[in-house]
Order: sequence, then C-alpha cells, then structure tokens
Amino acid sequence: MSARATEDMPCPTCGQPVGVWDGFCEACGTELAPPVVSAGQPGHVPQCPVCAADPDAPSAAVTADGYCESCGRKVPTSRDHVDLDLGVMAGVTDRGQRHTRNEDAMALAAPRTPDGQLALAVVCDGVSTSPRPDEASLAAAQEAVRMLLTSARVGDDMGEASLAAVRAAAHALTRVAGPDGAPACTYASAVVGPDGVTVCWLGDSRAYWLADADSACLTRDDSLAAELVANGVLAEKDAMASPQAHVITQWLGADFPDPQPHVARFTPPGPGVVLVCSDGLWNYVPEAADLALLALPAALISPLDAAAALVKVANDAGGRDNITAILVPFPLRTP
Amino acid sequence: MSQPAFAVDVDHNQYLYDGARDVSAIATVTSDGTPGEAAVASGGSGSAEIIIIDCSGSMDVPHTKITQARTATSAAVDVVRDGVWFAVIAGTSFAKPVYPANGTMAMASPQTRAEAKRAISGLRAGGGTAIGKWLQLARQIFASSPATLRHAILLTDGRNQHETPEELAAAVSASEGYFSCDCRGVGTDWEVSELRKVSTALLGTVDIVPDPAGLAADFESMMQTAMSKQVADVALRVWTPQQAEVRFVKQVAPTVEDLSARRTTASGQVGDYPTGAWGPGESRDYHVGIRVQPGGVGQEMLAARISLVVTTSAGPQVLGQGMVRAIWTDDEQLSTKINPRVAHYTGQAELASAIQEGLEARKQGNEEAATARLGRAVVLAKQSGNEDTARLLAKVVDVIDEATGTVRLKKKVADEDEMALDTRSTKTVRVRKEHG
Repeated sequence: MSARATEDMPCPTCGQPVGVWDGFCEACGTELAPPVVSAGQPGHVPQCPVCAADPDAPSAAVTADGYCESCGRKVPTSRDHVDLDLGVMAGVTDRGQRHTRNEDAMALAAPRTPDGQLALAVVCDGVSTSPRPDEASLAAAQEAVRMLLTSARVGDDMGEASLAAVRAAAHALTRVAGPDGAPACTYASAVVGPDGVTVCWLGDSRAYWLADADSACLTRDDSLAAELVANGVLAEKDAMASPQAHVITQWLGADFPDPQPHVARFTPPGPGVVLVCSDGLWNYVPEAADLALLALPAALISPLDAAAALVKVANDAGGRDNITAILVPFPLRTP
Repeated sequence: MSQPAFAVDVDHNQYLYDGARDVSAIATVTSDGTPGEAAVASGGSGSAEIIIIDCSGSMDVPHTKITQARTATSAAVDVVRDGVWFAVIAGTSFAKPVYPANGTMAMASPQTRAEAKRAISGLRAGGGTAIGKWLQLARQIFASSPATLRHAILLTDGRNQHETPEELAAAVSASEGYFSCDCRGVGTDWEVSELRKVSTALLGTVDIVPDPAGLAADFESMMQTAMSKQVADVALRVWTPQQAEVRFVKQVAPTVEDLSARRTTASGQVGDYPTGAWGPGESRDYHVGIRVQPGGVGQEMLAARISLVVTTSAGPQVLGQGMVRAIWTDDEQLSTKINPRVAHYTGQAELASAIQEGLEARKQGNEEAATARLGRAVVLAKQSGNEDTARLLAKVVDVIDEATGTVRLKKKVADEDEMALDTRSTKTVRVRKEHG
C-alpha cells in the first residue's frame, strides 16, 4: 500500500503550501505533477555528429529540414530517443535501427488525487502509411494524457475517463489533418491506481501485466492477425508470420471517424509491473512471461533502467520499428 | 513583371540496398502562370529577337528557297510584339545587318515592322556560308539593346564551308549564355550534327524544313514560343553532399539535352546548369544522377537539393526546391522497385543515342552496326510509346519484328527522312508522375 501523505507540501515554484490532492498551486497557479511527453526538446539546435567530429568538414550545421549541410545525412532529432522518469513510473522511446525517425510517442503523468497516487501512461504509434505519422502520435498522446489527468484530478471513473481521452485524442487528429491526408496512429493507455489497472486501446499497441507468475497481455490487438486467430483461421504463430500481421483494423485519425476503443480492468493479484508498449517491442518478445523475465525484478527497483533494457533487447534483435516501453511498478510507490 | 516562381517535383525510388551509392531521380520543373498567357505587360525592353537568314548562293537553287525565306522572315516579324527589340541579319561568307541597316536594334511597332519587311523583300542570294560570323554579328547587335531576354532564329541551307570548324566553335562559345538560338535547315544539303552543335550550345532547337513552303508557319510558331518567354537565364541548381559526385544532369522532356558538362560551380557543393529562358506555365523534366557515400541500413541522406536560380535586378534569386532523398534499407522489395519515370526517360535518352549512332554507322557504311542500333531504337520507341519517332524510324528501316527489334535497312532512304529522324531523335514522350 502506498503511504498517503497527510501534510501540506510546498509548491515547487513559489514555496507556498499546497494540498496533497491539489492539481494546481492556489498561490501561483503552477501545475503540480504535470504530464510529460516525448516531444523532444523544442528549440534544440542539433549538429551533425559525424561532421562535428571531422576537422575537414566545412560545417556541421543542420538545415531546417533536418539534414547536415555538409554530408547530407539526416541528423537525429531530439525525439529519436527520449527517456522520461517520474519515479513512480518511467518510459523510454527509441527510433530503432531501421526507421529514419521516431513515429512513436509516449506521455506520462503521476498525479496525486483524492483516490491517492495514480500513474497515467499513454503510447501512440504513428501509422507509417499515413502522412506525418510522427505528428499524429505526439498530438494524440499529448491530448489523451491531458484529458486523463483532468479526469483523475476530479476523481472520475477511469474507465469513462479513458474513453473520453481517446475521443479527445481523435479530435486532436482532426486538427492535424491537412491537404496531404489524415495523420493516424494507434493508441494504448493504462491508468494504474491503488486498487487496480484500467487499460484502453485501439490498434496494436499493447499493455501487459508482468509478474513472477500469471503474467498476461491485457489488450487484444485490432489487427488482421488477431482477427484470424480469434476466428480460429490461423494459429497465433502463423498469423504473426503472415504479411498481413501488421495491418490494423482500427486506429485514430480523421479518416476513421468512429473508432470503438476497448476498455479493460485488471486487479493485480500481487506485486508486479504494468507495461505499455508499441509493436516495436512486442514483435520481438510477444509473450508476457518472456517480457516478465526480462523486466523483473529490475522494474520494481528502477523502472527507467528496466524500460531501457527492454528497448535494448528490441534494438539488439534488429530494431525494425520504433520502440516504446513504459513501466509502472505495482503497488505504486510514493514519489 | 511579377515575381517569377518555380515548382520542383522530385520522383524517384528513395530506397537503396545496403552499400548502394547511385541515386537517380526525375525532377519536374514547372514555372508559375498559365501556359500561353501572353507576356504583354512584361514586353517592354525585356526581350530582343534577331532573325538570321542564309543568303548564300545556294539559296537561289531552287529560287523558292530565298523567296520562301523572305516570306517566313516577314511572317516572323509580324509576330514580334510591340515594344520588343528586333533586327534581321543576312548571312553569307560575311554577315550584314538588313534591318536596321546601321547594325542596331529597332523597337517593334507597326512602322518598324513595315520598314523591316520592306528591307527583307530586297534580300538576294549570292555568296558563301560562315555561320560563326553570323553569330558574331548577332552578338554585337544584341549588345546595342538593353534587353536581357535575347533569342535568335537561324536559317541555313548548307554546310559551314567558308570558315573552319574552330572558327564556328569559337563564335558559338562566345555566344553561349548570352543569347539562345533556334536553328532550322531548309532542304537537305546541310549538316544535322553541325547545326545541332549550335542549337545545343545556345539552348535552342534544331529541325529540318524539307520544303521551303513550310518555313513561314515554322518561323511564326518559333517566334510565338519566343514571345511567350518571360524569365531569362534560368539555371538549374544542384546541391549535393560533400564527397558526392554528380554523374549527370540531363533535360529529358520535352527533348533530351545532356547538361552534365555545362556545370558552373557556384560553391563547393553547388553547381548550376543552364536551362535558358522560361515562359509561364512551362514544364520540363530533368534526370539527375548522383553518386553518394553509402550509408548504413536505416540511415537517411539528402542526396541532392534541386532549385532554380534566376538573375534579377536584385541579384541571383533561388526559387523552388525539390529534395532527392536516399534511404538505405535491407528490404529488397523497396530497394529493387524501379521508378517508372526514371526507367522511361532512361529509355528515351538511349533511344536518341541509338538513332544518332545508327545513322552515323549507316553513313560510314557499317551496315551491321547500323542495323543493330536502329533495331534497338525501334524497340525503345515501341516500349516508351514514342509513336512519332517510330514513324520516322519506319522510313529508314523495314521493321520485321517491333518487339525484338529485328529490322532491315531500307535500300533507298530519302535524305529528308534521314535528317528528320536525326533532328527529332531527341524529342521525348512525357510521362506524368503517378498519383495516389
């Protein structure tokens, strides 16, 4: 059980006391426990790492569209690899080995609410065949975590809140649609509270429960492969090997007006860790028990190190896709 | 005149297999505006036109050549818009200003056009052919006007007999970049390769007008095209990474022109290639081949940035931009995909050279090589749907099997058919980018 703090704490900005359940400082308006997203560093001016190290290169400057002025290489953006650590939870997202940019996005928040400490995790994976998938995933993750946080602070039912968050994310994607088409992404969220886990998803990003025993995948993909398996047409192994395995049947985007997100609740039987991830990870390690072997017990001590280790496993296996992993140890720790 | 604007659209397979170095792309350049839109407002002192008429003795044989040349020149003068600078030159072993007689340019008006036509009607044939001298005089006359959009039409009926090839080459290179020139040969006693050297260097067209009666219509349409041009001296600018090599830059539509050797280096990584003058709504395709340092799988590189450079009163301006990307992948389905437009234009360029080489071999009496090259041309013309060229080929060879390129050289070929095939060998059929 997480120990509930009963005393007021100082606002990190102005030092005035704030209530333990407050979302904002009454004195200066600072948001307490704000969400964090894998947006990279705005205003970060990158340099070409190769030309910066080469004394003969005329320059290592990078153009506005992201290419080195000397050697023409696409220079990694600050979104290519992002670590986010909130103590009670942590996430790592990475471009992988084969893609030229990171089209995954993640958002995390760890608010203290009337129901106690919560951990909110959102992973979105941009659909490569849509235009600007990287914008889609970031906009959706950002909007969804914002909605989850607002609902959590007023003590809403987190199942309802999860659906509202998906609707908000879908709406955000109608705003980024343009003449080039509708940017699209998958969606997976997990809300971890003192009593259990609420997961919500669209597409093939997943949530898992990882523990010493009875690890399980908490989501079921909206994909052709999953449908083939569900209808008994193919065995899971064969379905995953088929070229259609990654064709998703639901997604978020202006071109898919009425998505039907799934919500599931799960009450952990004991200590363990909730994983929310993109297919860049589970493609290499689909089985919950295998993921548990990789993540535990490290995830209970340092979720950031364990998430980084999972991402490394996928990268070492080939890193064909962008990789994102968020880990939330249960029971929630006090920050 | 409104600000010129260009759009650059790049079409290529950006995926390379691990270790691959060659990137090949088609860049479609389109200038802003509506095609055919008369540049009335921008006429002014912007444009200058010179018509150069061969007045050598052979133009009298048959006599219709000189009379039709006079008619054609007058027809072209009629198309010159009010306010455009113009002049007419008579060419023999020397060059002589016909109108204005003092070797300057006149501004077109109903009155100057009438004066010019009077002077043209007095043109007589007699003397030799020294095209270099004609170009030289044209250059001097152009220099007397403030116009920056300089274009000439050159008509000849014979070989450049009265000066050395070196003299002609020197005159051509002195004119390069200063004015553009469309060349026409009337009859069949002139040399296609000789005139092509002039038209290629001076960014113009070359064609045969076998029957003098066709001259007037041809001159009129050439002048109309010239009048539609609004932006002079446009260069295709190609940026490449350090240690990359530009293998070639070719215009591939509407005709094949290899610009590779005409690069001027703007800075270490930036080269400019001349494209001449552009009219509103005009569109051309360029095939660009770049060799880059190979990247690792998953790496992306910008292999080239393609834009246009226009010289304005405010200095050179860079307009439009297309990006040629390269991404290395181990997915063979991606890397082995052949871009249909790259393939099409590669075939069209080969078609032009197969025809030119085939005709040259035929001239040298090498029937075997001629049959092989022209047979290959038949296949390429068929594959790319270039029906005009296929029709011209059929006048030079008997096609036994179009698909395999089995042909027999015709015993008797009319000179004009052979020359028409040669001059039009560079004309391409355009393919558009596939959308959706």
